[in-house]
Amino acid sequence: MKRFAYYDTGHEFPEEIIMAAGFTPYKILGDVHEPTDPADSYVFNYICPFSRSALTEGLAHSDEWAGIAFAQGCDTTNNQYDIWRKHVKTDFLYWLNTPSANNPTAKKFHLHELKRFITHMEKKYNVSITAEKLKEAIQTSNNIKSLMRQIAALRTTKDIPNQEYFELTRKCVQDPKNNVIKDLEATLKEWKKLPGFPSDKVPVLVTGSDITYSEWMDVLDHAGLRLVRDDMSLGERYFAETIGEKSDPIEALVEYNSNIPQSPNRWPFHIRLDYLFKCLKETQVKGVIYQTLKFCEPHLLDLPYMVAQIKGAGYKVITIEREYTPVIDQQVVSRLETFREIL
Amino acid sequence: MMTMGLDIGSITTKIAVMKDREILGTDVSFTGYNPERAWKEIIKRMLVNLDLKESSIDRIVSTGYGRSNVSIAHKKITEILCHAEGARYFMPNVRSVIDIGGQDSKFIRVDDKGAVTDFVMNDKCSAGTGRFLEVMARALEVPLDEFGALSKKSKNTVRISSMCTVFAESEVISFISKGESRENIIAGIHDSIASRMISMMGRSGVMKPMVMTGGVAKNIGIRRALEKRLGITLDVSATAQVNGAIGAALLAQNLNGSNLNN
Repeated sequence: MKRFAYYDTGHEFPEEIIMAAGFTPYKILGDVHEPTDPADSYVFNYICPFSRSALTEGLAHSDEWAGIAFAQGCDTTNNQYDIWRKHVKTDFLYWLNTPSANNPTAKKFHLHELKRFITHMEKKYNVSITAEKLKEAIQTSNNIKSLMRQIAALRTTKDIPNQEYFELTRKCVQDPKNNVIKDLEATLKEWKKLPGFPSDKVPVLVTGSDITYSEWMDVLDHAGLRLVRDDMSLGERYFAETIGEKSDPIEALVEYNSNIPQSPNRWPFHIRLDYLFKCLKETQVKGVIYQTLKFCEPHLLDLPYMVAQIKGAGYKVITIEREYTPVIDQQVVSRLETFREIL
Repeated sequence: MMTMGLDIGSITTKIAVMKDREILGTDVSFTGYNPERAWKEIIKRMLVNLDLKESSIDRIVSTGYGRSNVSIAHKKITEILCHAEGARYFMPNVRSVIDIGGQDSKFIRVDDKGAVTDFVMNDKCSAGTGRFLEVMARALEVPLDEFGALSKKSKNTVRISSMCTVFAESEVISFISKGESRENIIAGIHDSIASRMISMMGRSGVMKPMVMTGGVAKNIGIRRALEKRLGITLDVSATAQVNGAIGAALLAQNLNGSNLNN
């Protein structure tokens, strides 16, 4: 099944429409190990490095994809649509608008946008995206979300390295869904047998920019910090909620989108904060790591308010602005180790 | 108990040897390319100066960026905890610590029991650190240790607005070409470091009494710029540059068999 790529800095893209059209949804995550020189010809290097890595991936691999869709995300993503249109070779490039607000008008608008996207897909690929196919895709998605919720819950009781959890979250958005389900079922069985939560690790919640490479997850583990909760799109936000299976499938996707944890691209930001507090109430953690990728404006703009509120509620918080590189500098290591020491 | 603290910083290596809570000796040398050689040589020199044998040291704690290179350390502890402990030795009721070192600046909050409760550090950028001062000293052709005295003679503090060392250097060069006095430029450099530090401290919250540590604490100009912006007097010990090593030596005294994991 050919991949259909999507570029979404949040977790709002309706993968189910792609699945119903007969493609494998593939989330563009860039590659931190590849230099971004090709993209740097079109985007200045003080713009979000992840977005430049995503563009580099698009420039190199677009011919392997049936098409590409953008989900409305941060300003950097949205404004790069034109750059992709000009420089990335593809037969189909689509920008899917998802509302920032969450009210009846926004839902109506979203419904219209999803229907418009379906029409464009049907016309381009000469397929029929029926309600039955969408319902089937929704069931597959829900299966994955349910398995991931069960797996993620094991993090508080079992010895699950951060990097291994990360690898599953990546598979969910990049690999063929049937393979993902098989992998997750096997992993769930296997992880239930793992030894208990290690005594030399400290349970933490990680929020902020999406961590798209495993090296950063390893650094947290080496510093003795174990992710037991996360508030990231490449993580819990992707599988926190279930899509309705009884109603009209497009309406169910709209409803689902209005219930999922909010990314920093959306407002008002107290909704994000309320969700974080809910996670912190559900799971006992020793500290919160608020890490942001350099130049990640949505998170950097939220950070002062969010951190003040979390600290104000009595939680220990460390803020780290990280470079987009697999090579972790000693200063970051020292800061994480100190955080571990004070926890 | 005889303990040794080694602080392997990005620019300098510091050592402190203590007997119980009394400082027997301290020393500073350049770290250079080979941190292992740096700590081995400074230990050798210290032992000769104090007429001690290595076997007479009961516990060694290493800290700083090069802490992992010290194979003989009984424990490696991050510099934030060591600086807090060192500052508490100098002022037992300290509640916050400003530490400006070679490549980073830190603000550390300490509770009434001396435990670190919060800290903030500069992000990966040399602006506002000792390295920043070194670059500026080179541009102004002034030895770094004269910076403090020269800044006292300034009549008008210039404003350095760039957030980046490289761009700030260009700004300084522009001031030189405009004929601005060295004294005024140096005062502006100190003020820009103080400004950066204050905004960082704002993320955690200032609490008194406050101690300044690290090599940059020796610079009276920086201290004055910080004091002016904070509206308080900063306490600086005579051993500010080796404060991290003193803290490491003190923490070494708390080590026992159960916490000797590196």
